[in-house]
Amino acid sequence: MADTDHHVTELVEKARAGNRASLELLVDHFHKDVFRMVYYRIYSLMDAEDLTQDIFMQMLKSLPSLKDAGSIRPWLFRIALNRVRDFRRKKSILSFFGTTIELEAAAQATAENHNNPANAMMLKEFQLQFRQLTDSLSRREREVFLLRFVDHLGIREIAEVLKKGESTVKTHLYRALKKFRQNPGLHGLLKGGLL
Amino acid sequence: MNSKNLHLNDDQVIRSVVAENDLPPTVRNHLSTCLVCQGKKQQIEQELSTLGRMAREFAPLPRREVRLPFYKPRSLWSWRPVFVAGFAAVLLIAGIWWYALVTTSQEKMMSQIMWETKQDEQLMAEIYALEEYAPVDVYPDVSAEFDAGYFDEFLRFVSPLEVNQNAV
Repeated sequence: MADTDHHVTELVEKARAGNRASLELLVDHFHKDVFRMVYYRIYSLMDAEDLTQDIFMQMLKSLPSLKDAGSIRPWLFRIALNRVRDFRRKKSILSFFGTTIELEAAAQATAENHNNPANAMMLKEFQLQFRQLTDSLSRREREVFLLRFVDHLGIREIAEVLKKGESTVKTHLYRALKKFRQNPGLHGLLKGGLL
Repeated sequence: MNSKNLHLNDDQVIRSVVAENDLPPTVRNHLSTCLVCQGKKQQIEQELSTLGRMAREFAPLPRREVRLPFYKPRSLWSWRPVFVAGFAAVLLIAGIWWYALVTTSQEKMMSQIMWETKQDEQLMAEIYALEEYAPVDVYPDVSAEFDAGYFDEFLRFVSPLEVNQNAV
């Protein structure tokens, strides 16, 4: 893990100095993480791809202003989060009508990638249960929960992304976990696990 | 509190998942020794770990690659338009300031000259008037202020001293 962090820091330094190969490696390193982060916030495959492209363009533009190369991950997630917020603001009405269709389409697209029919079924169920859980959380709780357990950021990193105190992050996380514990459907699914 | 017997409640278990170090020392000590409470905590952590893994596994993959434009870090030379614009702005400000200064001083100078000319014209008009309507020479002779000694002489002529003394 420390080696990976060191490697990423080196890539950031080289990319800032204009090394295109390092920049491409950096994008490759974070591409899936950023895409997934965006996807679980807007549940739209195409929009997530567009936003991911925008996020990396913003990263490219703002890279010289990054003070600490070691904190690239929370910095990038902060850019992503801001982009998602802008997107939601712009498409609040459209997404209200289109989300379910998008969600099903995305689930279908992912299910096609799974050869195991049981897993494909589980995927659909998971997506629905997961969506129900995130919908039951407040905006802050959802953000903190997703950043911690889906994007695997530490408390300090989350505080950095959200520009909040660590104690505030912990409070939101605690509330989110309480609601998570009260979701029986998702619990059953998680006990079953992947086949 | 007997930490050996009192297990963690649900809230404390959740708090231990969020940040174990934030728990009171007694609760933390109990958690470190009690297998039941550890089991509860591990169960939640396991579920969350599975949730993260499933979310990762079930998330669709991006179908498009990220397209990056040619990236070149900004050198000092790339700031040239900014420098040129700044220099032009400084020149413009200096020009405006200089123009304002010159215009103001010219206006001041012109108003001063006009005022002096007006004063001169007024003085000359007074001089011309004095020359044109100058009093005849006799007037200064009858003026009291002209010569006090001459006035006494004039009085003695009008009323001689001897006559005055005789009258007394």
